[in-house]
Amino acid sequence: MSLSATTSETETMTDPVRKSSTKSVWLITPGVIWMILFLVVPMLMMVYVSFWTQTTFKITPDLTTKSWVTFFTSETYLNSLWTTIRIWLIVLAATLIVGYPAALFVGLFVKNKTIQTALLVLCVIPFWTSFLIRVLAWRPMLGKEGAINLILMKLNIIQTPIEVLLFSELSVIIGMTQIYCVFMVGPIAFMMGRVDQSIIEAAQDLGAGFWRIFRTIILPLTMPGVVVGAIFVSVMVLGEFATAAALSGRKVNLLGNIIVTQVGSLKWAFAAVVGVVLTVLMGIVVAGLLRVVDLKKEL
Amino acid sequence: MSTVLSLAGVRKTYGDLNALDGIDLSLPDDSYVSLLGPSGSGKTTLLRVIAGFETPEAGTVSFKGERIESVPPHLRDIGFVFQNFALFPHLSVEKNIAFGLENRVVNPVTDASVVKSRVRDIIGLVGLSGLEDRAVTQISGGQKQRVALARTLVTEPSLVLLDEPLGALDANLRTRMLTELRRIRERCGVTFLHVTGSETEALAMGDTVLVLDQGRIAQAADSDTIYNEPKSVAVARFLNCYNLFSGNVSGGTFDSADGTFPLGAEKTFPSSVPGYAIRYDRVWIRPLDAPVAADEVALPATFLADEYSGPAVNSFFQLENGRMVEVETHLSVAPAPECRPHTRYALVWKQHDALVYA
Repeated sequence: MSLSATTSETETMTDPVRKSSTKSVWLITPGVIWMILFLVVPMLMMVYVSFWTQTTFKITPDLTTKSWVTFFTSETYLNSLWTTIRIWLIVLAATLIVGYPAALFVGLFVKNKTIQTALLVLCVIPFWTSFLIRVLAWRPMLGKEGAINLILMKLNIIQTPIEVLLFSELSVIIGMTQIYCVFMVGPIAFMMGRVDQSIIEAAQDLGAGFWRIFRTIILPLTMPGVVVGAIFVSVMVLGEFATAAALSGRKVNLLGNIIVTQVGSLKWAFAAVVGVVLTVLMGIVVAGLLRVVDLKKEL
Repeated sequence: MSTVLSLAGVRKTYGDLNALDGIDLSLPDDSYVSLLGPSGSGKTTLLRVIAGFETPEAGTVSFKGERIESVPPHLRDIGFVFQNFALFPHLSVEKNIAFGLENRVVNPVTDASVVKSRVRDIIGLVGLSGLEDRAVTQISGGQKQRVALARTLVTEPSLVLLDEPLGALDANLRTRMLTELRRIRERCGVTFLHVTGSETEALAMGDTVLVLDQGRIAQAADSDTIYNEPKSVAVARFLNCYNLFSGNVSGGTFDSADGTFPLGAEKTFPSSVPGYAIRYDRVWIRPLDAPVAADEVALPATFLADEYSGPAVNSFFQLENGRMVEVETHLSVAPAPECRPHTRYALVWKQHDALVYA
């Protein structure tokens, strides 16, 4: 999108300006070539392959809609589409509920810049370990004989271990929320940091109470951060497969897990169908989120 | 005139710094009060204590007869116009101004038509008609200033605090806004407390001028008194129009490192810091050997340079020990002095024009 805008602007410009903007075109050339070769072409390829004919052991470029029909008539696959959407919505809500107040606290009530930075770095500490370790570490935490059950039983709060904690949809949601929360906190805290303290004081001085100020001033001004954070979280959760594989005991099948299974059994055409569905879903989600606020105004 | 706000013994420290060191003041109802202080004198801290953004460590703040030290800012009936305007960037001019009416905890205006008409009235008063729907990011500095003022005035506070309200404007606009501010205040009939670091602004605006020095009120009086009879050396220094000499009174003379001045008919003020002050425009430049009358003081000095400002010429002289003395000659009452550089002259003033602090 930005490419076409740039070229059309170049054409309408007058001579002296044109010289400098032809130079500026060179700045984006490597990026554009990279994107075409490794994003646009593979995506078109994926759409193309989804219409190929798949037999048990080989795939031929004879166009057919068989894979598409299979996807949209099979209850298993449709269920996995709904599961993906459901888990995405729950994780998005959970990261927002956990992340927004945290970001607000860091951005609004922590006055010291050093402590502010330290707190944000704390959010990133889980990322110092590998993704796999992070996911697998939940097992001794949430398991039947895991830390949480053990502590609750020692404290006599429960008599029998809570089994639903691990290898369930709940464990997938807990794991994903923990991993992706920081992507929500970051953009919101950044927007919050840009809100001038005197604006909040001015609202106070004009007689507004805390919740009023939150609703009329803080929330609208941090909305771009929420949207950017939501886009990050959405794109990552929708494409997830590892957390679900490691923490659900194969009970939760996301679209990502289906792609992994299909590619594993060399069903390229069908994997491509799921890939296209997932890409379209992400496109709709991102486009929808971008309509919430005018990000252009913030840049 | 009744008192709208009074402070007694207000203290506030930041670490080792005594930002406010026992402030006593009282502001009369329906008047324009200006507060003059150099940067770092505690001006902004004082305003923040009055508005409720800071809590004083000691002392009392009474507003309309009630103690308010522990009342949160949104429940005080005090308006604050911020130095950087602090407009709500996501709201239009009209919405910015309507904010207080619609969102205040105490007595909010829920009727949209009432809000609209009151906002329209205030927009007319501050001269912003036609800009109602503009984004506040798309208007000029002077217009932002008016929005900030209108936003506060529309809530009809009993006291409006203005923190260097003209600091962000260019000189031309500043002069225009001075008259505007006075006119608007008279129409609203509330007390304005205008904080500034500029002595001309403070003198021009205030019915009463307060001078803040090192966290204390050094003098509170009308402009004329402040200008002609500053109570202490510090106040005289802020006014930026006095030659100040430090030294001691001994017998019939004031002895300083810069010279010995015979004393006669000076105005004398009791002060812990002794000093001698003579205003720039009360000093005359004479040839070195001109006779000196009995009620005059003469100080030999070398002419360095002068500065022409239109209605006056400021000449700079250097004493033998290196310190500078400034002389201001008003061209409406005297011809421009024609001094030759690096030549010695006698700077002469009448004893009764000098101020002595002892």
